[in-house]
Amino acid sequence: MSQQYKLRTGETLIEHVLDSMTAVFQASSGITHLVTDPVPAILEVLSDQFVDSDQVAERLQRQFDLQADADVAAVVAARLEELWQLGLVERRTAP
Amino acid sequence: MNPLQETHLAIGPARFRIALAWKQPLELLKRLYADYPDPDDGFADFTVRLEPDKPWRRFIRPSVHISGDFWLPDAAPLPLEQGLLAAEMGMNLQMALGWRRHLLLHASTVEKDGRALIMTGLSGSGKSTLSAMLGERGWRFMGDEFALLCPDTGQIYAFPRLVSLKNSAIAAMQKELPDDRFGPLLKATPKGDIRHLKPAAEAIANMHEPARPALLLFPRFGYEPAIRKMGQSEIFVRLTQASTNYVALGEAGFRALTEFVDQVPARAIDYQSGAEAEEIINRLWDELAS
Repeated sequence: MSQQYKLRTGETLIEHVLDSMTAVFQASSGITHLVTDPVPAILEVLSDQFVDSDQVAERLQRQFDLQADADVAAVVAARLEELWQLGLVERRTAP
Repeated sequence: MNPLQETHLAIGPARFRIALAWKQPLELLKRLYADYPDPDDGFADFTVRLEPDKPWRRFIRPSVHISGDFWLPDAAPLPLEQGLLAAEMGMNLQMALGWRRHLLLHASTVEKDGRALIMTGLSGSGKSTLSAMLGERGWRFMGDEFALLCPDTGQIYAFPRLVSLKNSAIAAMQKELPDDRFGPLLKATPKGDIRHLKPAAEAIANMHEPARPALLLFPRFGYEPAIRKMGQSEIFVRLTQASTNYVALGEAGFRALTEFVDQVPARAIDYQSGAEAEEIINRLWDELAS
């Protein structure tokens, strides 16, 4: 069964682009995260509903006109896991 | 036990009550801070207490324990001869741990034409010495320890305490300035030899004047002269490390710092002498300061 992810309910993230990285201020914890691409794009996809890693990969491929690729899905899955461990997103098992 | 004697000091926007168990460091503080405005209403942002760590230490091998509104539990006491250093460390500690009105950057600052040059770096980078030197050469000294960045206006406010000159910087400044600008030479302190320098009269008279940040430098002493461009990510990370209250200020700190990084040009500079640093700084100021 796949895992689905979504930005934590009620969370406010403030993003600021700093050349090669993006600083993300998480209001609930007061922590500043420094992230690289494609994390800002992933966070945008997760803003309003639960999605799994395949759906996120598909949206990114469409948005950035990428070839369908197993690597993209693997990278997205790894980043989603990290975002969950950082407490930036919530996770549930797909119904 | 005798009651503590106290004095009040206003340094930039911060006001301190310094309470001491001994007369000698109190007199010294009063002499060196004589030109600072007198906060005569009795209010203070912070209290610093300098007392013996044990009652008999007031008289026998007297040693000064630093405490106050904020303190570090494992701070070692200093010998009484270093009472002035203890007072300065106590004030720094209150600011570092308790100040919330500005984003604090561990940096020195000088000003010219309403624009601020901010220098930050590790201990030994020379930021304090450079600010003292420039403060005698046409710049207004704004502080050698903390730059206060206002989250509302983006302006830098001054915190021009006594300059803490260390080791070889002491002789260099003694050559240029009269003796009444200095405190006593404190030998073999935990930070090496230290001699405090009273900022120039203009720096004290104008200490409430903010300045717009125009150039940020990361100086490093003891290396072949060089200038290096820096990416915004590196600047941001180094400034969060240089700030003692970035996390405490939350969203206001994030917005103030990201705006600062966006707007203020920055360079890392290496130098081997004061004259070399001055030449590099003047060149970068002319090229970059907006």
